[in-house]
Amino acid sequence: MAKNRNGKTRKRLQLTLGIVMVLSLLITACSSNGGSGNKDKTEPAQSAVGDGVSKGNEGSGKTVYPLDTKDTFSYWAPINGNLITFTTNLAEAPIGKAIAEATGVKVNYIHPTDGQAEEQFNLLLASSKLPDVLEYDWSIYPGGPEKAISDGVIIPLNDLIDQYAPNLKKMLEANPELDKMVKTDSGQYYVFPMVRNTEGLVFRGPMLRKDWLDELGLQLPVTIDDWHKVLTAFKEKKGAVAPLTALYANKMNLQDAFFGAYKTSHGFYIDDQGKVKYGPLDPQYKDVMTLFRQWYSEGLIDKDFPIVERNTLDKRLLNGESGATVFLLGGGMGKWLESGKAQNPAFDLVAAPYPVLKAGEKPFTGQLDFKYNPKASAAVTTSAKDLETIVKWLDFAFSEQGTMVYNFGVEGESYTMDNGVPKFTDMIVKNDKYTSQQMLAQYTVPNGPFPMHEQKTTNTFPQQDEAVQVWSETDAAKHVLPAFITPTVDESKKVARTMTAINTYLEEMFIKFVMGNEPLDKFDSFVKQLEDMGIREVIDIYQGALDRYNNR
Amino acid sequence: MAQLKLGRSKVTHVGRLPLNIAKDIVKNKYLYMMLTPVLLYFIIFHYIPMYGSIIAFKDFNPRLGIGGSAWVGLEHFKDFFGGMYFWRVFKNTLMISLYDLIFGFPAPLILALLLNEVKNALFKRSIQTITYLPHFISLVIICGMIKDFTSSDGVINDIIAFFGGERVTMLLEPSFFRTIFVSSNIWQHIGWGTIIYLAALSAIDLEQYEACKIDGGGRWKQMLHVTLPGLLPVFFILLILDIGRIMSVGFEKVILLYNPTTYVTADVISSYVYRIGLQDFQFSFSSAVGLFNSVINFALVIGSNWISRKLNNTGLW
Repeated sequence: MAKNRNGKTRKRLQLTLGIVMVLSLLITACSSNGGSGNKDKTEPAQSAVGDGVSKGNEGSGKTVYPLDTKDTFSYWAPINGNLITFTTNLAEAPIGKAIAEATGVKVNYIHPTDGQAEEQFNLLLASSKLPDVLEYDWSIYPGGPEKAISDGVIIPLNDLIDQYAPNLKKMLEANPELDKMVKTDSGQYYVFPMVRNTEGLVFRGPMLRKDWLDELGLQLPVTIDDWHKVLTAFKEKKGAVAPLTALYANKMNLQDAFFGAYKTSHGFYIDDQGKVKYGPLDPQYKDVMTLFRQWYSEGLIDKDFPIVERNTLDKRLLNGESGATVFLLGGGMGKWLESGKAQNPAFDLVAAPYPVLKAGEKPFTGQLDFKYNPKASAAVTTSAKDLETIVKWLDFAFSEQGTMVYNFGVEGESYTMDNGVPKFTDMIVKNDKYTSQQMLAQYTVPNGPFPMHEQKTTNTFPQQDEAVQVWSETDAAKHVLPAFITPTVDESKKVARTMTAINTYLEEMFIKFVMGNEPLDKFDSFVKQLEDMGIREVIDIYQGALDRYNNR
Repeated sequence: MAQLKLGRSKVTHVGRLPLNIAKDIVKNKYLYMMLTPVLLYFIIFHYIPMYGSIIAFKDFNPRLGIGGSAWVGLEHFKDFFGGMYFWRVFKNTLMISLYDLIFGFPAPLILALLLNEVKNALFKRSIQTITYLPHFISLVIICGMIKDFTSSDGVINDIIAFFGGERVTMLLEPSFFRTIFVSSNIWQHIGWGTIIYLAALSAIDLEQYEACKIDGGGRWKQMLHVTLPGLLPVFFILLILDIGRIMSVGFEKVILLYNPTTYVTADVISSYVYRIGLQDFQFSFSSAVGLFNSVINFALVIGSNWISRKLNNTGLW
């Protein structure tokens, strides 16, 4: 009876998740039925014209929106966290309605529970019941996008883009660097990409309490030594219990910022010769460990850093328990400035450059993303039927009209044109009840398969604009390993298996070294263990994939 | 000739059974109808999913499905047993379960005995209600509370600091994890666990207490010679059931409480399965691990049942 208990609990979880998903499917299905009820009234008149138009479209290769079609499809995507306050489905939000109106297609959006996207995506694949379009990071699909295609999960888009997606096609032709990013080694397009604008490339970095620096008469820290001085002052003079804190989870790590000074990284990177390297194997990595170990023992690093969660981070920063962190531009700096200033008008944050060892050096690395954001890009699955409609709908986002809708929402409501420059209205930016991020989530699509408009900024404070400048001043472009290089199927399997074990090991050892539970002279055996676990083979695999990427 | 006879007798012997069942069904058709939902439940939710376990022997590919994926034999098992985390998760699972059994299992019995001695009904009932409460709180909230209590500025540290101790973030100390896990388990379930003992207590004949009193037994003797023996059968049945679960630590609570610092004492088989399978996408490997766990549990049930039959002639079957 108790035999299978553990299995049962696991199955029960899967089952509940399954039921939840089925229910949400049913709910969306129902609501769309309700919606199409309205549509039916106008349909007979249109459909007669419809066929003619769509045939005409194919001939001329020009799509006229709104499309005249009865087709509908399901679209799976994580919902924006800021939208949840208002609605649980994108279709209900003003922006969802605007897109439906402009394209003439009613889409059934399916959203996973907030924070569970990864698990639910994996369960979805395991269940083999796929929605028509999946917005997910296909570069982390085990085996990469090429494997996802050969597994029969998603379809290659080359022909479809040629036929039905003139806008995306135009963009890719005009931008060879982007074109290289969004296809596989064998030249297959697999997603409609989210394309970042220039400002969107840099969105994370070190920041400090500006008012504290001024009060204590300190300069903005540049070198590691400066940082030490500043953090010590924060601790001693401002009583900060955790002068430097950061989220450990989700890789928005405190370590992220300080490795560059030692010309290494917390994970894979590309060295000056263009070779793939793994930071923890570097001798300099030990220097970083030594530094962190020292800072930790001096009480400069949050002593709870391995369990710092989002709410702890907010609390620490806003209550003056911390004076420095490494975090996001909008969700961190913008949010804290907004609520910090409300409590205490003097509260101020300033972005610091990525630290270096000697003043005058250019930081070796830092956070830098690529024009292509694989996370919010949409692939068409093998379950999809109305391919023409789907592709045309997706391509709408890349048209001039579509770009405006996705980036700015409804003209006259959420934005106005001011001398050819779109500007968000006061309803969005200066809302009494909601933050601008929440309003933007209602009226625009913050992340998704569309090009970010060059003039779009969601920064609400000048400190943020400045931060983008400061954080951009690195050599990251040379040293960051692209996320979308694609090892072959067998290689990926090897990588997945090896890296699962290595990541756990690294995570544990890193914490032990920093907290002093493991003496630093164990570093050599730590490196040896990594090698025994097969890190060299993974490096070789990535090297091969990088070479292929460069040759695309 | 002989064979033929044998064969024939076999047929008639076997043939009798379905005949009886058929008759029985006709006779008690309503009873059987009431049984159907239960049967269906077990078939649909417990037996059919077992088929999925075969992906432990396959290189599971979601698109090809369970049937279509290629066989790989025992490869995933070899990976698990040969991997560097096998002994750790095995030991942790065993240790946490054992601690839970040793400290958690007798706790409700002790509380029930104490409650039994309380004469003020109002006080007794309020204690019961208060100890029930945590049982009804969702695990996520329970774990949030545990995190708050054990954080460096939490209640427990306030008490420690009051007596001049050093503040520690307890969830960052591998050596504390099991204690936190087990003691919070007791806190969660002690009240609920007493229900069954209190029910058993009410079944004890009052005359036995009278007799004990007449023989000169005080409260202590009454508890020792009447109450405790009255509760022992229930205690043993529950114990057998619990031993069968010794290898299964629910992963939800572990996952909500652990972090890389405490993996060394906190990572159990089920949390490992969750990390590898759902987060790292290696379904086949994690099924192999889960299957291994089930096999051990199966052996433990059989074993404890056998021992219990030997010792006091009672068992689950």
